[in-house]
Amino acid sequence: MKLLKVLVLGLFVTASVNAPAAVSNDELKIGITQEFENLNPLIMTMSATTYIYSMVGRSLVTLSPDGKWITQLAKEIPTIENKKASFSPDKKHIVATWEILDNAKWSDGKPVVCADFDFALTVAASPNVSVGEKETYTQVKKISWDEKTPKSCTFTYEKAKWDFNQLAQFRPLPKHLEQAVWDKYKNQKEGYEKNSIYNKAPSTPGLYNGPYKISEVKLGSHVTLVPNEHFYGPAPKIKKIIVKLIPNTGTLEANLRSGTIDMVSSLGFSFDQAVAFEKKIKSESLGYNAQFKPSITYEHIDLNLENPILKDVKVRKALVYAINRDELIKALFDGKQQVAIHNVSPIDPWYTNDPKKITLYPYSKREAGRLLDEAGWKLNNADGLRYKDGKKLSLQFMTTAGNKTRETVQTFLQGQWKSVGVEVNIKNEPARVFFADTTKKREYGGMAMYAWVSSPENSPRSVLHSSNIPSEKNGWSGQNNMAYVNKKVDEIIEKIDTEFDSKKRTALAQEILKYYTDEVPVIPLYYRSDVAVTPTALKGFRLPGHQFAETNEIENWSLQK
Amino acid sequence: MTNFIIRRLIQTVIVIALLSYFCFYLMTLMPGDPVDLMIQSNPRITSEDVARLRNLYGLDQPTYVRYWNWMSGILQGDLGYSRTYRIPVSDIMGPKLVNTFVLSFASLALALIIAIPLGVWSALRAGTKTDYVIGFFAFSGVSMPSFWLGLILIIAFAVWIPWFPAGGTETIGVDHGSWWSIVTDRAYYLVLPTVTLAYISIGRFLRFTRSAMLEAMRNDYIRTARAKGLSRVVVIWQHGFRNALLSLITMVTLSFSGVFSGATITETVFAYQGVGKLVYDSIIANDFNVAMISFMISVSMVLIFNLIADIMYSFADPRISLS
Repeated sequence: MKLLKVLVLGLFVTASVNAPAAVSNDELKIGITQEFENLNPLIMTMSATTYIYSMVGRSLVTLSPDGKWITQLAKEIPTIENKKASFSPDKKHIVATWEILDNAKWSDGKPVVCADFDFALTVAASPNVSVGEKETYTQVKKISWDEKTPKSCTFTYEKAKWDFNQLAQFRPLPKHLEQAVWDKYKNQKEGYEKNSIYNKAPSTPGLYNGPYKISEVKLGSHVTLVPNEHFYGPAPKIKKIIVKLIPNTGTLEANLRSGTIDMVSSLGFSFDQAVAFEKKIKSESLGYNAQFKPSITYEHIDLNLENPILKDVKVRKALVYAINRDELIKALFDGKQQVAIHNVSPIDPWYTNDPKKITLYPYSKREAGRLLDEAGWKLNNADGLRYKDGKKLSLQFMTTAGNKTRETVQTFLQGQWKSVGVEVNIKNEPARVFFADTTKKREYGGMAMYAWVSSPENSPRSVLHSSNIPSEKNGWSGQNNMAYVNKKVDEIIEKIDTEFDSKKRTALAQEILKYYTDEVPVIPLYYRSDVAVTPTALKGFRLPGHQFAETNEIENWSLQK
Repeated sequence: MTNFIIRRLIQTVIVIALLSYFCFYLMTLMPGDPVDLMIQSNPRITSEDVARLRNLYGLDQPTYVRYWNWMSGILQGDLGYSRTYRIPVSDIMGPKLVNTFVLSFASLALALIIAIPLGVWSALRAGTKTDYVIGFFAFSGVSMPSFWLGLILIIAFAVWIPWFPAGGTETIGVDHGSWWSIVTDRAYYLVLPTVTLAYISIGRFLRFTRSAMLEAMRNDYIRTARAKGLSRVVVIWQHGFRNALLSLITMVTLSFSGVFSGATITETVFAYQGVGKLVYDSIIANDFNVAMISFMISVSMVLIFNLIADIMYSFADPRISLS
């Protein structure tokens, strides 16, 4: 009994001393839920690695949270207009001059020079190195410079494409450190990446050029970062950053409230967790801000165009008319995500909601019914479903099993389609089966719901060009999982790549949107919001809403009372 | 005895080799590969990229060729390369394996220290209130999901009463002055996951001990021992418990073999840097090399601890011969 009293007393005394949110610039502990890999900028593929790398490494340019291309290591972005870039005489290539900041240095004080970019290109081009998207690097054919001006680089591009200067993912490698590894292992399959200093000794001075440098890495656990005194920009205010992996999203909140972490990054809370936690912040006056920002992550339903029912565009249009997406957003997401009308997000310059340019589908059960009637699917009053030639209008609807949000959306939509006489059968699969086989091989009966992550002004080539329909012939690569074929769209996609006039380019992109919304190969649902929970004392934090992490601005973060 | 051990060790190696091929083959049948995961995270990867990466990783080779390449590496001491973490398997697995062993052995030891005396006590007081209370305690442990218990412990002892950390393996970024400081820091992080794992196992061990003791205490030799005037302690522990020990050895050694893979959920809930979650993730992410090494260790543990159990039987009961 005495022990029980002590315990109860302990509870009262300590219950009120939940660790407060961080308010000092001495340390900030950031919680993430996704695994990260070794920090070699050429090899990394995971979102969490990019998140961490953005604190320690910078590129020539990046996309700001305002959606504008801004410089990082470069003095200026070369364009045709500012004469820092020009076409080759045969118009097939572009030659651009990139000037690297005079004070851009690696964390050992050595200058960042053209040779570091050239070295990255050499490594990335090797068949023995497992760079994911090789064209990120090999779009540059050659990098040359004068030894007297090692920071003034001439990039000759393989093709004359309008986005030649969007080199955010072309990251330099410190040649003065990695060259020796490269020389020794370049002829072995994966020899370089296995023996890279990023792998063997990731806290070696000189590997990074960003505001922070790594002081400790434990894969699967945490990364500790301290300011890089050689950073070209403003000195970071926070003296120590710890990025801690909390693999179970269910315990994120407990870790936050107990002070194990001070904030949850955009790679942490699921959307519904963040909404629930925001309510607790208000009701319990907790010292945190829940931040939401609409992103370009596009949640949608692919329609299998090889399905005989879905070949009829009237049926596809009816499916869109039949769903009330505004109501879905209000009911399930507290109005904090944005309804999607097509695959281009409102933060993208290519976006349009002009009914003269695209086809809009406001919720209308009557219009849905009319289109289905026209398509020959007649309502049977006995069971409330539609039939044609004795066959029921029934479609299979698949998504990733265990994703609570998607499963709730499925149930919501299933009910709305049933109200216009369409039977929808839900069949979900684990993500690895769903993405590896089902979507690629179009083994989904009718509809497959998932999301695409892209960037503003991103060519829709991989998801809409007919050459990107996954097939055995192309090794099931490409992401046109609907099997959408439109020669006109293919032509416009080819044109966009080489159209340097931004107005004309936007017009071309919107022409594709016209076909996209007219022919409905995909049902747009909503653009996901990025979410993060930060201490109220944290200033300078902005969620970007695109694939470039918020940590690109970490030098501006500070904790103020 | 030596012949027996050598014979069993040879059998163990053959079983591991056969099972490793079977398991490797099954893994290749699973949908997807590491390149598919890269495509998911980057829709801009081209078909040329896919073909190049599959060739580089050897994923375009027949299963038997891939297995042979993998086994050749193992025989030369190269455990392979993790496609998820992009570092050698030994680098990622070694420290995590140690952490898991520490957690699993600590929880197993705690469970046995509590379960065996309580099981014996419960058997000696069968049908009494004490027996029922202990039985309730045992069943609550057996029936409680570890993730739920873990969450409750975190909320109670990390959030409400912040005595212990909510998760992790050690305090990050602290320079420990002495080895004792390291040990106490690690122990601090071990408390909640150890209690979670131990509580789940206590019920099983306790009920097993109780029934084995009940059975043993009914035998004629117990009556004879009592008739000889031996003390109660000697009758219970030297005559009763020793005979109950045989079945307990089986139970405990099999539990030892499971320590490697039995803590996955607890490790995940407590963000504990163990190998359980690594194994799970490697299978989900098609990280073949990590998954296969995990498998090899698991199988080896089962076979080796079975061998240890057989040897221990002969010590517990001299009537059992290993020849």
